[in-house]
Amino acid sequence: MKYLNFIIRRERIMSSVWLATIAASALLLAAVYPTLFPDEISMQGMLATLNNPSMIAMMGPVYGLESITPAIILAQNCLIWFAIAVIVMNIFFINRHTRADEELGRQEMLIALPIGRLTNSLSVISMSFVLNIATALLIALFTLIANIEGGNLVGALTYGLSIGMQGFLFAMLTLLSAQLFSTARTTMGVAFALMGISYILRAYGDINEDLMSYVSPIGLGLKVEAFYSNNFFPIIILFIEAFVVAAVALWINLRRDVGAGIFPARKGKAHASKFLQTPIGFTWHLLRGSFWAWAVGIFAIAASYGSVIGELDNFIMGNDAIKQMLEGTVGASTLIDAYIALLGYMIALLISIPLINCVNHFRTEEKRGRLEQIIATSVSRKAVFGSFILIAALEAVVLSLFSVLGLYATTYSSGLVTLSTLIEVTFVYLPALFLMFSLAVFLVGLLPKLRSSIWIIFGYSLIIFYFGRLFSIPEIATKLSPFGNIPQLPVQEFSVLPLIVTCIIATGLCVVGVAGIERRDM
Amino acid sequence: MSAIIQIEGLKKNFGKFVALNGVDMTVNEGEVHAFLGPNGAGKSTTIRCLLGVLRASAGEIKLFGQDAWKDAVELHKRLAYVPGDVNLWGNLTGGEVIDLFLSFRGAKYDKARREYFLQRFELDPTKKCRTYSKGNRQKVVLVSALVSDVELYVLDEPTSGLDPLLEKVFQDCVKELRNKGRSVLLSSHIMSEVEKLADRVSIIKEGKIVLNGSMNEISAKGKTLEELFLSQYKSI
Repeated sequence: MKYLNFIIRRERIMSSVWLATIAASALLLAAVYPTLFPDEISMQGMLATLNNPSMIAMMGPVYGLESITPAIILAQNCLIWFAIAVIVMNIFFINRHTRADEELGRQEMLIALPIGRLTNSLSVISMSFVLNIATALLIALFTLIANIEGGNLVGALTYGLSIGMQGFLFAMLTLLSAQLFSTARTTMGVAFALMGISYILRAYGDINEDLMSYVSPIGLGLKVEAFYSNNFFPIIILFIEAFVVAAVALWINLRRDVGAGIFPARKGKAHASKFLQTPIGFTWHLLRGSFWAWAVGIFAIAASYGSVIGELDNFIMGNDAIKQMLEGTVGASTLIDAYIALLGYMIALLISIPLINCVNHFRTEEKRGRLEQIIATSVSRKAVFGSFILIAALEAVVLSLFSVLGLYATTYSSGLVTLSTLIEVTFVYLPALFLMFSLAVFLVGLLPKLRSSIWIIFGYSLIIFYFGRLFSIPEIATKLSPFGNIPQLPVQEFSVLPLIVTCIIATGLCVVGVAGIERRDM
Repeated sequence: MSAIIQIEGLKKNFGKFVALNGVDMTVNEGEVHAFLGPNGAGKSTTIRCLLGVLRASAGEIKLFGQDAWKDAVELHKRLAYVPGDVNLWGNLTGGEVIDLFLSFRGAKYDKARREYFLQRFELDPTKKCRTYSKGNRQKVVLVSALVSDVELYVLDEPTSGLDPLLEKVFQDCVKELRNKGRSVLLSSHIMSEVEKLADRVSIIKEGKIVLNGSMNEISAKGKTLEELFLSQYKSI
């Protein structure tokens, strides 16, 4: 009991923040959803949009079509994302108190005290159970407080408990992973991989309506059909699964050495590859993780926005803001053209984020005191900084390509847009992306302390993107944004001049930035 | 004897703060030159200027007779540097970092010597840098420096994380470098280490060199290095 108190003490701030965030999100979502779908027609429109294979793959099966309420829409849209957020928090929580602790040598210290071998695991299990039940009850409570139409106690409880029990099952899976692998990184990696596999199995199962939806905990969690059939059975199954996994984890825990796992840590390479031994290879190694993560992310976002293109009418009917934005873009063109133009702009804005991060990472390396060691070799500053810039440029092209692929993957069957249109719409923004990361190059090279001000420019562009269409703002305000001068294909006329001007400004900024790096202190 | 490092009137300001206020220092070919001073006196700042990481506000730094800032890239092929505070990349292994530095340095090196120093410092090159202790991180950089066959070794408190056994190994390595006629600039806090290794000593105080002499001169005065060092700072 003393030991449990000790864990609670260490966890009190994190858990409070966790629970408060969950409660606030539950309340907010339950309060906002009814206003988004004020009448039966808008709800049916939303469900029609969701009832196609790509949306089902993303958010799970649609249910309750014949007696639709805002509460059903809420659960259908939000349960899976809520569950994933709670699962992520559980993975971090368990890892923090098991393998990460062990890796830092803290467990060794505790085992030396008159504390049982399983005390830590048992305390962590109880704590995580309590946390997840609290999560479930808070979600239920705050959904009820919002007084959403179609909401009731039983529905709210299945909604909350499905989320909480999925969290608990993944907590136990992480506990098991912590027994098997000897580093915190692998433990987390395996837990997140299980979550990913579970999500993909569910997507597969939900589309084909087969068993895989039940094998996947995330798929099983959706089968409660909250606020409709309110099926408690999946929650019980999830609990039994968690119980079995916990038992196996404890059994292994009892039989292994502190600090060791069942699978030994993988040995790394004793030698660097030829590629790693070049400045560009070295920089690539630093940046490749986020590079590919963003590539996958952009693909997924593009695919999901592309997937609604067939149901555009229904989709827009339910959302006044989007409707108004589109009308601001449309002019004389069709709805689909306007939508594509808007998507191109939005995705370009998104892509600029990792490019800026990429350039700013040079400064991060510098501040961590690592670049000094590189500069002290016969590799020039220009070569290192140039490598970061080159990878940012490469990322701009690759991410744009992934965006095209994502859009095309979900729109080609509709026959509404051609591949060449998608390529034009996306790649026309390359000069703007070039300008965005060149601004970062300029700041990091010349004014490193002010490098964060790039986000002001980004924020400004974002505001112009959103409000430029909702309200009429002077044209000069649009032109001030790096994205504002790019012709919005296929709605606007293509013109090459603004692209050339943007590229010239960007090149100038790059040259000045690189010259700055060569002159300043590191 | 020719001067390998020649610093004259080196000043460095960070905004209004004066870090170096006219440093004069010479390191001759083939000597082990100890660089002493308390924390914050300007040792690392001097070394960073010497390596062209920081740009001197005033004064002149010559390395092998060339300008340390302008010709930095060419000059760095002839030296190896070990920083006091070693930060490495968590997802690279020690072996990868060693190869990386060797390759970036561009100086020639012998592969057999790489194995030899790994064994001598008892370093497992297959572990990720994330899992290394401070001492092990220091060993990674030390090995990469010692394997390089260069004319000058710039070592900034290289033994602060090493245990006594490995410190002995390090001292042997420095002696071997001197026997081969290499030059070493060794910044250190450990007086016994300096007494064993150094030919000459420079002591820095508040951004200025306050004492410069050979170890023979110092021992002729009948004082230990530690007494001499402390006598410089009595007023503080």
